Amino acid sequence: MSERHGPVHDCGGDAAAYVLGALEPAEAEAFRGHLLECVVCRDEVETLAGVVQALPMSAPQHAAPRRLRRRLLRAIREQPPSRAATAGRPASRRRLRPATLLGAAAGAAAAVAAAVLIALGGGPGATLSRVIRASVSGVSGSVQLRISAEHGELVARHLSAPPPGHVYEVWLKPAGSGPRPASVLFTVNRDGFADVSIPASLRGITAVMVTPEPAGGSPVPTHAPVIVASVA
Amino acid sequence: MFRPGHNRHDLRELADEDLMELVREGDARAFEVVFDRHGGVAFSLAYRMCGSSARAEDVVQDAFVSLWRSGARYDRARGSVRSWILSTVHNRAIDSFRRESARHGQDVHDERLAELVPAATTTEAEVQQRDDAHRVRTALAQLPPDQRRVIELAYFGGFTHTQISEMLELPAGTVKGRMRLGLAKLRGSLSAGGLTP
Repeated sequence: MSERHGPVHDCGGDAAAYVLGALEPAEAEAFRGHLLECVVCRDEVETLAGVVQALPMSAPQHAAPRRLRRRLLRAIREQPPSRAATAGRPASRRRLRPATLLGAAAGAAAAVAAAVLIALGGGPGATLSRVIRASVSGVSGSVQLRISAEHGELVARHLSAPPPGHVYEVWLKPAGSGPRPASVLFTVNRDGFADVSIPASLRGITAVMVTPEPAGGSPVPTHAPVIVASVA
Repeated sequence: MFRPGHNRHDLRELADEDLMELVREGDARAFEVVFDRHGGVAFSLAYRMCGSSARAEDVVQDAFVSLWRSGARYDRARGSVRSWILSTVHNRAIDSFRRESARHGQDVHDERLAELVPAATTTEAEVQQRDDAHRVRTALAQLPPDQRRVIELAYFGGFTHTQISEMLELPAGTVKGRMRLGLAKLRGSLSAGGLTP
């Protein structure tokens, strides 16, 4: 059963074009919004995405040229992998891409206000490489804080998108004082994925917070945290 | 459990997802195995989309370098490594289209193709891959031509339904309808063969 509101949408009419990446960018954006509300279209997207994932196999199959292999292996040995990736791209920047559709449909169940509070141990322990898992309640998804040396990286999976007109903003809370902006704004991609580097040092920081704020960010948090994760 | 120091033979025994754990840690040999396993189908997709061997090579190299640099982003809960790779190659090919003012034909073959075809299949996985490819090709070929055409233009050509409508001089609703019918029929054919969920 469809739970629609807003403009009437031809349910199912756009799902095939969506999974093929054939909607115009504005249409794709609107359809993603529709998917948040319509279980019929989510089901159809999920069903058809599997078909689209098989399409590459319809191409005549060839071996990769040896020169390509040589060139590629030379290139990767010159470029170490980067774990400090940027935030998930706003969905509107790109056309819909088939492999992410299942995740988009699954992660589109709810859009709620979100905040992440991750308590960090201060002192020397903060310089060790570790991964802190946030327990999330009141918002869908999961979040990890990965700490290497004194720097952190937030990795969110299947996280609800911030409310329309909002972004997520990262805050750093030192012991004994209120949170200060980390100068990091981000949103999630269609899968609810984001990988956000925090450029500031975490030394002396007891918590990293993420709150939904109006686009452009806020000088102080305007929303109370609804998700809290503490160091075990 | 695999640890650094194992040889390439050990790596080839690992599942894709385990290899990606090593790639995440910067293991170039693991990445090499991933490429050897999926480079062919990646190149085939790029070649099908670009219609030029040189351009396809650029797309695949660009995609794999991107994957190498962002290996930490792979999440097995979101799909197979192969799907992740092919999605990246597909995206890169479309990006390549956009950088080019002119598009090449969709079924172009050049004289270098013969060099690219492997002399013989050597592993069970390759045999399975070829069988799967044959079944998908057959299913696509059995679609009514008007449905197959819009699907191919969208997926391999990177065209939007608006562009396809203009190209084929059809109403947008007709194009979308053909896409929907075609994918539904494909699903039926592929499901019968166990190729889709």
